[in-house]
Amino acid sequence: MKLMHTKLPEFIRKMKKVAAMSGSEYKECNVVGLENLKTAKMQSNRTGRIERAVEDIAKHDDVYKVEVSVIPRIPESMHSCIIRGFDKEGKPVHAILESINILHPAEEVLTHDCPDIIDRRPAIGRH
Amino acid sequence: MNKLKYKIIPEGMLKGKYMPISAIFIDYADVKACNLTMLEAFKKIAAEIPGPAGLNMFDMTATTTNSNGIMLDGGMVSIAASDYGKINKEFGYMEMPEIKYSEELIKEEPHLKQWKKSFPERKLHMGPNPNTKVIPIHNAVLTGRAGNNNSGTEMMHYINMEEILLPITGQLEIMKNGKVEVGGTGEVISVGIGMVVGEEFGRIVPHRQWKCGKTAHNSKEYAKTLKSHIPIIAADKSALARSIIGALETGVIPGRDIGASPAVLSIARHMGIKPDMENIEENAFIELASVGCTKEWMTQDVERLTPEQIIEKAHEIIPGVEKPKTFNVSDIVQVRLLGV
Repeated sequence: MKLMHTKLPEFIRKMKKVAAMSGSEYKECNVVGLENLKTAKMQSNRTGRIERAVEDIAKHDDVYKVEVSVIPRIPESMHSCIIRGFDKEGKPVHAILESINILHPAEEVLTHDCPDIIDRRPAIGRH
Repeated sequence: MNKLKYKIIPEGMLKGKYMPISAIFIDYADVKACNLTMLEAFKKIAAEIPGPAGLNMFDMTATTTNSNGIMLDGGMVSIAASDYGKINKEFGYMEMPEIKYSEELIKEEPHLKQWKKSFPERKLHMGPNPNTKVIPIHNAVLTGRAGNNNSGTEMMHYINMEEILLPITGQLEIMKNGKVEVGGTGEVISVGIGMVVGEEFGRIVPHRQWKCGKTAHNSKEYAKTLKSHIPIIAADKSALARSIIGALETGVIPGRDIGASPAVLSIARHMGIKPDMENIEENAFIELASVGCTKEWMTQDVERLTPEQIIEKAHEIIPGVEKPKTFNVSDIVQVRLLGV
């Protein structure tokens, strides 16, 4: 499985490295939108494609810094909500599982004022 | 050049309440007269509005249902959300297909017994096709900051997170240049919305997930707080009363065929119609009691009134919008013409 998915810290490190090394000079890269994830495995082939995209952006002479924003592909996400109660020793003693669906802003909030946009995403259902 | 007419309540303050996005109302008849498709019309209007907007299109010769299953004069055929003058190509547009009449449908969705009696020969449009709608759970369209949810009855701004409730009954009054109430949604409507009926193509919930008599909120005393703080543009109570009376006169029973909301129950009492107390689940009773609609109140014998008397006294009889201000639609809605 090592080849199939990338560790979250490695994903972030890869993006920063590509941005730093692809242009004629060092360029900073921030990855945002994953702050509340402590651990995750990132799809590897997409990691490679995103590295390529960071490189393509960082190569532009008019780019000073790069940002990788990770937002839900479908602007609605379904989550489990785990409500746990702990005793004095910190041991979980009661739990209820619920679900909650979240609506998110669509990508235009990040792209509306950008003059050059290339959409390389596959259509929904073709991943 | 043709002129496409549309109505707009612009983003910003409206009579003391905040409209988080612009709300657009379009008559499909006007769109057809301009030889446009629904999506083409939405795109042309969206291009005129730089900020976030929700766009709803109506067929006023059709019928639809509200969340309690009351059938109404007019239906909504498609919705869109736009921002920065554009509509998101994947998530920004959705249609509500025509529902075909069948005896099987009436058996499964008994509130539609009203259809042949009150709106014969009319096309029925409810929510989107649950199998092809644009996002998995909500009946919503989204573009940028703008969201248009529950089949065009909740419009919201995803950055400042403010929202406006637009019950379908109020939107149809806007289309008909009637009267609307602007105010706070309040606890009574917050509970009432949850008294749903099962619909395969439901405006809010698909696949007949809840049967009449249940509460979609299922939140006990928390139900009254779920929407209470949100501003609302609702139908004037006389118009709402007219729709509810029309439904009750077809023989549908609150709590069995149509949702036992406070508005429905308050009118049914004065028509001498008792709800199906056996079919209403206890959690629904708890939510109704939390806003004063106790079992005793529902079944209490009160003065019988004629439909005309109920409509005349609708503002006293029907609980609902908090601190409502009543307006002629022409006082709050702008009519614009767009060359197409």
